[in-house]
Amino acid sequence: MAPPTGPRAGTGRAPPRGPRATGGGGGIQKRRANPRTDRDGDVSMDAPAGGSGRGGLASGGRGRGSKDARGGRGAVNSRTASRVVQNLQNYVSGGPVGKTQSNMATLKIHGMSNSKATGNRDGGLRSLLTFLERKASKDKAVTIGKSIMDGDYVWITVRKDDAPEILRLNGFTYAGAPLTITETTERMPRPEDKISKAAEETKQKLTAVLAARYNPELKLLDLSSLGTDPILSSMGTFDSKDRAEKAFKVLVVIASQQYKTAAEKREGIQAISLASNGLNDVMQVFTLATSLPDIKRLDLSSNNLDSLSKISKWQHRFQYLEELHLTGNPITTQPDFVAELIKWFPSLQNINGQIVRSPQEVTEALKGMHPTPLPQFPSNLRDGEANVASIFVQVFFPMFDSDRARLAAEFYDDDSWFSIQAIANSGRNLPWKTYLKYSRNVHKLGEKNPATVQRLFTGGNLIADMWKALPSTRHPSMENPGAWLIDCHTFPNLADPTGHGFATGLLITVNGQFEESDTTENLYGKRTFTRTFILGPSKPSNPPPVHPYRVISDQLTLHDWTPAETPAGQAPVANQVPQVPVTNAVPPAEPVMLDDATKNQLIQEVMKRTGMTAEYSELCLSGTANWNFELALKSFEEQRANLPPTAFINAV
Amino acid sequence: MATISKDEAIIRSSGEAARAFTDWYYTQLTDGKPVSSCYVNTNAKYLAASHPPADICINGQVVATPEEWDALLEQQRLITFTQQKGKVKYEVEGFDVHVINKDYRFAAPAEIVAATDAKMMQRTEDARLMMVVTVAGSVTFGGKEKGTPPKQHFSDVFVLVPNWDYVTRPKFKGHKRYLVASHTYRAY
Repeated sequence: MAPPTGPRAGTGRAPPRGPRATGGGGGIQKRRANPRTDRDGDVSMDAPAGGSGRGGLASGGRGRGSKDARGGRGAVNSRTASRVVQNLQNYVSGGPVGKTQSNMATLKIHGMSNSKATGNRDGGLRSLLTFLERKASKDKAVTIGKSIMDGDYVWITVRKDDAPEILRLNGFTYAGAPLTITETTERMPRPEDKISKAAEETKQKLTAVLAARYNPELKLLDLSSLGTDPILSSMGTFDSKDRAEKAFKVLVVIASQQYKTAAEKREGIQAISLASNGLNDVMQVFTLATSLPDIKRLDLSSNNLDSLSKISKWQHRFQYLEELHLTGNPITTQPDFVAELIKWFPSLQNINGQIVRSPQEVTEALKGMHPTPLPQFPSNLRDGEANVASIFVQVFFPMFDSDRARLAAEFYDDDSWFSIQAIANSGRNLPWKTYLKYSRNVHKLGEKNPATVQRLFTGGNLIADMWKALPSTRHPSMENPGAWLIDCHTFPNLADPTGHGFATGLLITVNGQFEESDTTENLYGKRTFTRTFILGPSKPSNPPPVHPYRVISDQLTLHDWTPAETPAGQAPVANQVPQVPVTNAVPPAEPVMLDDATKNQLIQEVMKRTGMTAEYSELCLSGTANWNFELALKSFEEQRANLPPTAFINAV
Repeated sequence: MATISKDEAIIRSSGEAARAFTDWYYTQLTDGKPVSSCYVNTNAKYLAASHPPADICINGQVVATPEEWDALLEQQRLITFTQQKGKVKYEVEGFDVHVINKDYRFAAPAEIVAATDAKMMQRTEDARLMMVVTVAGSVTFGGKEKGTPPKQHFSDVFVLVPNWDYVTRPKFKGHKRYLVASHTYRAY
């Protein structure tokens, strides 16, 4: 005789009782006279002595009612017609199954059916579990989690640590029958699977209904006049309104499940007919919009839809719906229904055979289905009369590519800050290994993380050292404005380096891409970056060469977003024009308009970099370089050998 | 616990401030709520001290007031086909913050400007900060129900200055510890 087991098998709710509990009564003991109950009131017939708190707490008489409370397993086997649809719904909405708890192992036991215990009311399951636990609990108490008997097999789950103890029992004889115990990764059957078998039959019937109603040439699923369908009627589908709606939902779900991908589905079912179904509100068939959202043609003719409000549940659904038939519905007598419907469905071109919108209008309407990104404007440089920012970026990026040590020495001082943040989210382009150890992404690190201090580089020397460790880069030429988005403006209230008062600062934000060659990791490719500079007046104490300004803050943000269009707001058409390599390009013919102050600054920079006199520096800039700093330096390098000694300031 | 140096206190304070700011700001944006209240423009102390309006530059275009920026955001949320307000979701993927003035005193109460109240100066030591914050993330235009929504990357750069209402009144109920003096936005 067996005590009541309740739905212990496979309810999934009974927590694995703690095999940790070795204190208390300790050791192995025989079955207690009064089975203890777990929190659910289920009888916990196998908890080891001195089990965990959970089992112990509920040791009262609560469990006695469990047999009635759960209704036993008998109920799930009753296949009354009224439950078929419900069951099927459970089946189709069940979603992916097979997740097992990661710390649990699933074991399969064979041989039970030959044992003498099969005569027990529960087929001998309970006594088998008791047997296994007793035998397995040699060094520590082993507790079985879930269990279920399925045909010739008994499935159990145990904690992974305990699995070897149970597996050790492989070959033991139980009630006259030898047991085979194996570990498995298969999904443990669930009590619901027994329902699913009933559902499977229903599903097959419905699939047959669908097959008969599908027209592969027209890609049409004809769900018209469902009430006269002999199979559906025989299944009791129309016994109530409620059941008819559920049956429809299941039909649509099964239809959509015939396709593996959304694209296949879109291709496979392009048209649906729901004609002659006595519909008075699309709410009754609403699921069509969620299961088959991409259909192009929909026939709702000969129903009882009498106003727009009866279709409004589908408003702004069916984005690709091109053709809609409503003849034979009272709604067609309403004056404005066409005008209103085209506002609801962006692709709709044909209502009741009448053309209501052109393909061009459809394209326009589809574009407006999403919120609209703000327009993009070119670089916005408001850096004052001296064009400090323009010159700074012209000098900065080529020098960052070619001579970082010098760059740090010239523009950074002891109080400059630099940091990098890598936004390594998708990793679809270059890997991030080189950068991640420096990445000061405060958002990800957390503001209390000491790394936010360690990864902040302060002072020109530290910054220069850190730059040495970064892969070499090549930024695009400033000649190519489409490759850069630079925004810049002045702002007040920086600390004045002379001590008191405020100084004006300059904020420069640069968005662009650079080529990278990481020789240590052997990686080459492009990265997208944002670089934010704060420039402020130089300290009088800074060693020469003193620029009038210094970098107070330099934040480099790297990410792997590749913009769909060129950021400068160029028309996408421009991408189709074959790109002439910039290096071979003839410099633009039109002269660059620069004011004298800017020219003087450029001349100063060229003087600093080349050691040439002001005169020669100007010649160099105004020639083919056309006042482009980068080109000027290049032509200097090319012509260097040919220059007379007088071209240089320190000519010997 | 080891004590941290003054600079470390300032670095941590700036990180906390940037976190509080970005948490609030992008939640507002995603929820479709206005953000104009966090710019210096509407703050009485900054107005009284004649601070220029916040410099706001959106995708390369200067926007005169924070309210205009709010209006642009509303325009961006509009689904033209349905004339309904859609969801524009801002997701922060990273931010970095640098202190660019460790002893910011503009528009501060007189005792801070003149540094006469030693206690106050000490208490506000890691709060008188001017900071630059660079935020990176993604913007998604609309929900999944209408097919794949367009997506962009955004980069936002803010210059933040102390909200003296918060600094000087520890029991101040408002949440804005810092105000925006400059804002540069690009999404592409």
